[in-house]
Amino acid sequence: MMNLIRHEIKIDESFYKVEEIRHLTNETFSLKLPKTRFAFKAGQHISLGIHGDYQSREYSIYSGANDENLEVLVKEVQNGYFTPKLRKLKAGDLVEIHGPFGNFGMEPKDAEAGKFVFIASGTGIAPFRSMVRTYPEIDYTLIHGVRQSTEAYDRNEYASDRYILCSSRDTKGTYHGRLTGYLKGCTFSPDTHFYLCGNSDMIFDALEILKDKGFERDQIHCEVYF
Amino acid sequence: MKYHLITLGCQMNLSDSERVSSVLESMGYERTENEEEASLLGMLACSVRQKPIDKVYNKIAQWNKWKNKRNVVTFVSGCLLPADKEKFLKSFDLIFQMSELAQLPDMIREYGVVTPAGLRAPQPLMPKNEHIAEMWHIKPKYQSTYEAFIPIQNGCDKFCTFCAVPYTRGREVSRPSGEIIDEVRHLVNQGYKSITLLGQNVNSYGLDKNGEEINFAELLRQIGEFGKASGEEFWVYFTSPHPQDMNREVIEVIASYDCLAKQIHLPMQNGDEHILIKMNRRHSMDKYRRIVADIRELIPQATLFTDIIVGFSSEGEAEFQNTVAAMNEFQFNMAYIAMYSPRPGAASYRWENEVVTEDKKDRLHRLSEVLKIHSRAYNETLVGKTMRVLINGTDRKTGFSTGLTEGKLIVRLDRQDNLLMGQIVDMKITSAADFSMSGELQEVFSQNNQ
Repeated sequence: MMNLIRHEIKIDESFYKVEEIRHLTNETFSLKLPKTRFAFKAGQHISLGIHGDYQSREYSIYSGANDENLEVLVKEVQNGYFTPKLRKLKAGDLVEIHGPFGNFGMEPKDAEAGKFVFIASGTGIAPFRSMVRTYPEIDYTLIHGVRQSTEAYDRNEYASDRYILCSSRDTKGTYHGRLTGYLKGCTFSPDTHFYLCGNSDMIFDALEILKDKGFERDQIHCEVYF
Repeated sequence: MKYHLITLGCQMNLSDSERVSSVLESMGYERTENEEEASLLGMLACSVRQKPIDKVYNKIAQWNKWKNKRNVVTFVSGCLLPADKEKFLKSFDLIFQMSELAQLPDMIREYGVVTPAGLRAPQPLMPKNEHIAEMWHIKPKYQSTYEAFIPIQNGCDKFCTFCAVPYTRGREVSRPSGEIIDEVRHLVNQGYKSITLLGQNVNSYGLDKNGEEINFAELLRQIGEFGKASGEEFWVYFTSPHPQDMNREVIEVIASYDCLAKQIHLPMQNGDEHILIKMNRRHSMDKYRRIVADIRELIPQATLFTDIIVGFSSEGEAEFQNTVAAMNEFQFNMAYIAMYSPRPGAASYRWENEVVTEDKKDRLHRLSEVLKIHSRAYNETLVGKTMRVLINGTDRKTGFSTGLTEGKLIVRLDRQDNLLMGQIVDMKITSAADFSMSGELQEVFSQNNQ
């Protein structure tokens, strides 16, 4: 007969209770969690799983490094496996978090000394909100590409002269069209550092546009969403 | 009392298996290669690819049938995804994480015990590496008397989209440098000639300790200083480094010490900038190019090895041609070229696999032909030269031995002599082939192993 040795099962420190689901559009929401037990650098990501499920996904951190809560920004994938489950979470449900991971983002000492252009498609804005909240004095321009202007998540948190909304399917943005169309017409200071985050097609196109403008590959930092 | 251990997967599992053997043999078990005479049957499995996992299921089904006839205990450990662990709980008697290896004797004595990891329901998404140090304290049962692996780091934080290792081995954890240097010292004193520092990202070494541990360059420097003081001839390799964390300082240190082998394995994975981004490799081709330029400048004699995946999701002919161009540019001595296959647990497993198998095979073949040209061209430059060669095997051709140069190039010798095994000898290269050379023995210098 199987002889089991009983071990004390402790609450794993990787688990966190959901505090709130903040709905930003019909499809997109922010998952608000308690402050993490680890420190992170703006731009880093975490691995997020749901208690009782084997799958997990990586999400950039949407909140600032000094904020009271950890937030991630999630767009529900229709008929997807994971995001519909995330959307159904309620306050008090457990999620599992590992991290932080990655080196996307500037060193804190450099954040308020350089010029930055952040280029995001859709929820790829997440690491940039984290950077802007973490480094209040940062000199940035945020170019955000979306389909509908309703996807301008938390846009009132950014100074209006720093946030460029490129909306391809309505005219309520700063620019009507794809962000790559806007980018082609821009001029930037030669010492600018570019941070690109979002789907791979946007990143490939923006990367080539910036290289054509003469910027070195080392000035262009990419974080692909998958 | 005999045990049989099957090890699947990469060198990390091989290295772990040496520690498992050590624990079992300290309990009085004797290793056997004949599983039918073993009472303890174990596997170090690998969830990173599907084939090894299929092999585990086939094997445990066979072993469990034997239980009707005789008493056997089965165990599984290794590089496992949580979902696989859960399934294995039903078919194996014991399942444990490598970090729990020190407790294996207790588990076996209490046959049928489920380990703490097994009791945790559900399994954590990433293995906890907090007790991995206990595993490193176990002295391994080395499989060779002249070649050895030393684990220096475990886990991976990189999240390449084609790879599941972050979920099978957990976060990057570095082994204390003092232990590593002690193990190098011990091996060299025992006459070992080839030592490989092992980890998923060896050159991330120390970064997880936030300044409380030396970095990879300094670790190599300290090993180099030991090698210099020892007066012994031995070669220290490392695998695998990640281009993201590679820097000029590491290359300068390798150039400075004789015992740090002049062979660098630098996985490129793909030569196309866009595919690299899609793979989430976190290095550009420019960065890779700079590292290779530093290697060529500071260690011109170094051989360069790489890993390449062909047929990754969305790779078309144009992207593939960039990999061909990179292959021609860097002129690798060896490339481990793999056709992309979706790996359960990896992000790309969820993507459509857009490249058809025929195209993958074709690209593998074409890239191998390019590799062959550069490998052979390099080998031909060595004809007539005398090289130091570590004799480490017998050739398939009767009466022949094989060895490796410091740069890990294969040299065949038309002689078979057990006394030469594990010796570093002078060989004059007489002819070159695509991936090997032939040579004549000049003189035996090293007199090490008994």
